[in-house]
Order: sequence, then structure tokens, then C-alpha cells
Amino acid sequence: MTRYVPLVSIALTLSVLATPALRVAAAQDARLAERLDKVTLGAVNAIVDSARAAKLPTAPLVDRALEGAARGSDGDRIVNAVHQLSLRMRAARGVFGPSASADEIKAAAAALDAGVGQRDLARLHSAAGRRPATMPLAVLTDLVGRGVPVPTAAEVVLQLTRARTSDSELAMFQRNVRGDIDRGADPSVAATTRARGLVARSVPAKPLE
Amino acid sequence: MRNIARELRVPIHVSESFDARVMDAVRALPPHRRTTLWSRLTTPRTRTVRVSPLWWGLAAAGIGVLAALGAIDAYSDVNQAAQPLVAALSAPQKAERPERVQFVLVAPEAKKVAVVGDFNGWDSRHAQYQAQHRGGGVWSVTAAVPVGHHRYSFVVDDSVWVADPYAPRVVDSDYGVANSALVVEHQQ
Repeated sequence: MTRYVPLVSIALTLSVLATPALRVAAAQDARLAERLDKVTLGAVNAIVDSARAAKLPTAPLVDRALEGAARGSDGDRIVNAVHQLSLRMRAARGVFGPSASADEIKAAAAALDAGVGQRDLARLHSAAGRRPATMPLAVLTDLVGRGVPVPTAAEVVLQLTRARTSDSELAMFQRNVRGDIDRGADPSVAATTRARGLVARSVPAKPLE
Repeated sequence: MRNIARELRVPIHVSESFDARVMDAVRALPPHRRTTLWSRLTTPRTRTVRVSPLWWGLAAAGIGVLAALGAIDAYSDVNQAAQPLVAALSAPQKAERPERVQFVLVAPEAKKVAVVGDFNGWDSRHAQYQAQHRGGGVWSVTAAVPVGHHRYSFVVDDSVWVADPYAPRVVDSDYGVANSALVVEHQQ
């Protein structure tokens, strides 16, 4: 049997067959290689690969490493930060389920980092229903960061979410509470007072008899 | 048949000058052209390939395995991409188009202010996120930010990281410095 065998076609065939391996290499963010040393890069890539295998969003992990590099953190700290974020995202996905968006998982991971418990996250997720819980989570994280105790902050945001408060109203609520706290108000009192006003507004008034 | 066999058994006498004539003919051939790697790869050549059916089978099985691996890899990518899609079905439709966001910081003493965040790889040299001094210590920049949840900060004079005082705060137990949160929604 005689065959014409051009070597270029063999090379092309091999390159096509090697596509999966090339795609894995390309999936590793080139920015990480530019900003991290080899040891840190290897550890971060291992965490990212593990997250990818677990069907978790990987972009937040890459961003976390890039942030550490931009802040001038050492390699150990960067690897630890990326690892901790991956654990928090796994926990968040466990609460929110596989249908959660990457934004919700990111916001929930930030809430967990602030000290919010998984039980509170589950209640918030349940109260949000079909609406994305991203904004309520961001406000909850902010309140805790400004000194509102976690149980109070969680209860306040839960009430607002159940009252179907819009994202723009939540953003305004956060600004108002921040302003109150900056002017010396007690964080818990500021949050509960502002929330009470919003919830009352969202409940339709009874018609006059 | 006997006649043919008899003829074949007759010894053949080759002329003594035969070898010399053959070598002269070889020397008269033009010198062999130097080949480059590119010409080796591109010049068509004829090869005789004898492959048993067993090897064909093995080659087909190998290609099948590689194709299956590629399909699995592609499936995992599709599956990851499908997660936001599932969320989008139960949420307001999100556009991939970035939205314009204004960042403002009051920093009267600053010489330079940049915005860093997960939307620009935390790169303080990113040209689109360099704030301009508007006077009176007010710095601002309006830039395109993808729809979604983001963390960001200001970098003053290439060294001091400042969270946006007017934005939701994100506690950071890992790096120890709070960032700001930004939720960008698709504008109707």
C-alpha cells in the first residue's frame, strides 16, 4: 500500500489531538505568571485547578492572587488568601446550591469572611427566592464591617429582603446607615431604625374605612 | 519448465569493467541538493507504509480516547458557563456589556489616584482607571465595569490603598485591609 504522507499534515493532526492539553495550559491566567514567583504560582494554580474541578468559579481566586501581588503581600499570604477564599466559596455554594451565580458565591464568601454564619446565609437565600441575593449580601457584609453585630445585621437584611426591598433601596439604606454611624450613631440602632422605616414603607397601607 | 530451469542455472558472466562503468555513472549524477527543515516538511514524498489491521485498530482506539478527553474538557467548560445561565433564568436578564461607573474620591493632598479592583486585575497602572483631579481635592474617573459583584479600592500616590468611604465595605481577614464592594446592574 502506498500513501502520500506530508509531515505538515501529521503535525497539524497532532496539534488538534493535543488541543485539550493546550486548553488547560491556556486556562491558567497569564497575569498570574507575570506577577507571582514560581512557587506561589504553582500553589495558586493547584487551588484554581481544584476549584475548577469542583465547578466553582475560578476568576475570584485569580483576582484574589492578583490583589495580593498588587498589595505586595508575600507568597505564603497570597496562597493562604486564595485557599481561604476557595473554602468560603465551597461553603457558599453548599448553602446556595449549584444554581447560584458566581456573583452570589463571591458575595456570600465575603459575608462568611465578615463573620456571617451559614445558617444566616441560608435564611437570606430562602428569603430572596428567585431574586439574586448579591446586593443584600453586600449590604449585610457592610453592616457587619461597620460594627453592627452579626445577629442584628442578619435580621435587618433578612427583613428587608422579605419585604422585597429593591437593590437601589438597599443601596440607599446602606448609605444612610453609614452616614448615621459616621455621625456617631450606635450601629445597631442606626441599622434597625433605618430598616424599620423601609419595611413600613413597603407594606401597603390599609384603606381608610 | 525444464528449459527455463536449465537457462537459469547457466552462470552469468559480467564484464570486468562493469563496476567501473557503474561508478562512473554515479559520479556523473548532479550533487544532492541540501535540504532545509521547511523543505523536508513541505516537499511531497512518496513513502511505502505497510500497516497491519491490528495497528490501524490501535490508532483508531487512541484517537477515540483523545477525542473523548477533549469532549469531557469541553463539557466541563460548557457546564461552568451554564451556571450563570441557570441563575440568569431565575434572575433579571444580565447583559455582558459593561456599564459606565463613576468613581469619586476626595483626597486633597493626593498627587495621583487610581482605581484598582477585580475588574482591572488590580492593576494601578491601567490607563482607563486613572482618576483625574477635578479641583478642590476631588478626584474622579468614569470607566466601564462588567455587570456583577466587584471589590475595589483606590490607590493614592501609588502606595496608599483607600477603601471608597461611600461604598459598602468588604472586610478582609486575609490581607487585613478592607475593600469596597460594587454591584453593577444592567441599566435598562
